[in-house]
Order: sequence, then C-alpha cells, then structure tokens
Amino acid sequence: MVLIVNEFYDDAGHEDPGHPERPSRTSAVRSAVADLHLGDDLIVAPAREASRAELLAVHEGSYLDELGAFCYDGGGDIDQDTYATYDSWSIAKNAAGAGLAVLEEMRSRNDGVGFVATRPPGHHALSDRAMGFCLLNNVAVAAASLLALGERVLVLDWDVHHGNGTQQIFWNNPDVLYVSTHQSPLFPGTGFAGEVGGWSAIDRTVNIPLPSGATGDALQRALENVASPVIDDFAPTWVLISAGFDAHRADPMAELQLTSGDFSELALLAASFAPRSGRVAMFLEGGYDLDALRASVHATLGAAVGATVVAEPRSNGGPGAEQVARVQQERQAAVDALHSLEATESAP
Amino acid sequence: MRWTFHEARQPQDDVIVVHAAGLLEHLRSSLPRDVTPPRLLTLARECNFDELHLRWFVDDGDACSVLLRVVAPPLNADLLVLGSRGHGTRPGLLLGSTSLEVVQHATLPVVVVPSPPTRT
Repeated sequence: MVLIVNEFYDDAGHEDPGHPERPSRTSAVRSAVADLHLGDDLIVAPAREASRAELLAVHEGSYLDELGAFCYDGGGDIDQDTYATYDSWSIAKNAAGAGLAVLEEMRSRNDGVGFVATRPPGHHALSDRAMGFCLLNNVAVAAASLLALGERVLVLDWDVHHGNGTQQIFWNNPDVLYVSTHQSPLFPGTGFAGEVGGWSAIDRTVNIPLPSGATGDALQRALENVASPVIDDFAPTWVLISAGFDAHRADPMAELQLTSGDFSELALLAASFAPRSGRVAMFLEGGYDLDALRASVHATLGAAVGATVVAEPRSNGGPGAEQVARVQQERQAAVDALHSLEATESAP
Repeated sequence: MRWTFHEARQPQDDVIVVHAAGLLEHLRSSLPRDVTPPRLLTLARECNFDELHLRWFVDDGDACSVLLRVVAPPLNADLLVLGSRGHGTRPGLLLGSTSLEVVQHATLPVVVVPSPPTRT
C-alpha cells in the first residue's frame, strides 16, 4: 500500500533552546520514513497552510488573532510548557495544513495510508487556548474537514498524554468518536473514564487511563475490550490517529513501557477500525526520545503499509488489567447516568 | 501568599496552595509531590497562620486549567487567590497571562494580588 506523507516544511524557526519539542523530532521522523525505502509507493502531498476558514472550524477567531499577533510581536512563553516564536504562526498553520493536504491526496487516490509528520503537535490545543506544546489542533482541523463532507470520524489518540484539546473541541459532536489511551495521573489532568461526551454526543468519548508502568498488552486489550464495541456501534468512515510515541519505554516524558513492536500492533488494530483501506491517517503528536521516536514511527508505518521491518519485541506483563476493568464499569455508569437524565428531561 | 494568610482568619478558613505540574516539570523534577515546600511553612509561621489549616495540592496540567478546576471536587474552593507575577506579555493581550485567562473563565470569585513593586 502507498504511504502518503506531507511535503517537508522548514520548522526550524519554531524552537526554544533546551525545549524537548524541537526541530530534530521532525528530522528523526523523516529518516524513519526514508528508511522504509518505499520508492514509488511513497507519495508526497504538497505543503500548504490551513486557511483561516479551515482553522475557524475548530478554533475561535479571537484566539487565532491573539496567537498571530503574539508571534508577530516576537512570541515568548505562553504558559509554563508552551512557547511561540516569530515564525511559529506560519509553521503552525503549515502543520495544520499538512493534514488537510494529506487527506486531500488520500481522497483523490482513494487509497493509501496517511502520515502527517509535523510540529508543533496539536492534541492539547483547545478551541481558545494553546497549551502542552500545542498551538493549533492539527488532527481536529483535519477531522473538521472530513465532517464538512458528511464523514463520521474516529480520532484514536495513543499519545501517552490525554488529548484534552481534541476532546473539548468535539465534546458535543455526535459525528466524532474520540478514543484515548493515556497514562494517568499525568498532564493534563483530564481523561478520566467518566468523561464520556456531552449531551449531544453521549458515549462519543472513550477515555482509557492506564497506570504508570503499563505495557503494550494492557493497552491493546483495553482498546479491544473497551473501545472496540463503541467503535463498532459508531461505524466510522475515517480513522484519524493522534500518533504520539511518548508511550515508548525510553521516552522521558512519562512511564508507560511500550516498545516499537507494540506500535506496529496498534497500527494494525487501528486499520481494523476503518471501513476499508485508504481511510487511515496518522498525525504526529508527542515522542521526545529521538531514537525511540525514529524506531517507533518506522515500525508503525511499516506495519501500516505492509512493509517488512524489524521492531523491538512487544511488551507485556505490566500493570493495568484491573484498572481497565474498572474503566469499563465507570464508563458504563457514566453513560447510563447521562441517558437516564436525558430520559427524565425529555419526559412529558 | 502573605495577603491570603492575613485574610484567612475565620476558624473555618482553610488555605489550599495549588501547584500546577506541567509537562516540563514532569521531565525535569524529581521532587516528591506530596511534601509541602518548607518555605511555604515558614511563611505561614511568619504570618501566624495555623499550619493545620494549610494544605499543599499538586495537580497535573497547565496553570490555567488547574486553577479553573479548584471550584470542583476534591477542592471545592470558595475563593481563588492569584498572585500576579507581572510576567504577562503585554497589557490588553490575553495570551501569556494566566490571571486574565482565569478571571475570564472562572466560576468562583477571584482575587488577583499583584506582586510588590520592585526597584528598577
């Protein structure tokens, strides 16, 4: 199968010396793609910026104005984690546009696996606020473009941190199913099992918090047992993946214990959620150990396109099984409670 | 902090000092989260504030999100006191100013206490 990636856009101007969200991340990811040696099966979607109208589908205009002005004025620290520079506004718009370009190429070919290798990442960005290294919510912008075409979108987020921004943006949208596996407790302090969606989208959010030390088997079982039935009911027409690789055991940002081999399995599982080939696109989120990032992206994309790659053995034996069982119960209780309230409110 | 310790004088008043642990803090800090910083205890003593009514609470998240959550369980705060460090980017612009962002979205009373003027 062909791999469709975004054309490289120079992101060196978005850098804060010593900050882990750095330009060398993109280089590591791009070398992982090159090492697949896909030849003519590697398609490059031309770089472009997301337009204001495309960004307004998920972000408030006042926030876009503020962010643009902040960067134009030279940038600085937005919060204790998040920075912007003079170049960040343009780079962030290109990061959001890269996802749109990859989806456009996939739709025109009606085939392929999409991979959007950009930074800054996006899944923490709220509709009206930057946070967690994220300025614009790239995967949400892409999902919104598909919603405008009448599609039903599964956003599967396997970054080690909960994608609070994506959850917030689609909280009340019944045409988006947001599924997240993440370490908890951990930044950003959201993503509990009882968060199952807003009034208009009950059961359209699935949060699977995992304990520190959890291994790939727990994460895979959680997706199969907790998320799969909800995904089957939702019947997505597209699968967009917030593909963070900071759940790798070597990553310094968290304590999950996944290996590159686990990410291969996740790629295959994610593909099984799509209605057919040509409907899965991955968006780079976190991943801060460059060697682990390179190996994980290589293994993930290799599995996704059916290439032969060498990956680390899958991890297993860590904690998390009992917690996953509790997640299932808490989720169901929250969904039942919301449905019960809904029935009460609509009663004559 | 001094303003808060001096205002919280009713017997039922508790002061909870909330610390937002961001992404970078997780990366760089090895400090235990549940230990009240000694300098905070010292300050309470200086202000004659009963340490039994002082609590240190660390929550994961950016400062704005963490502060907006204090109204909800488990803290159920009645009043939020913010120390304004004056590090906001520019007057009138929201981005980069935790105080302005919190005041705009908070659902409980908020007091913003400016830091003392510094000599230039």
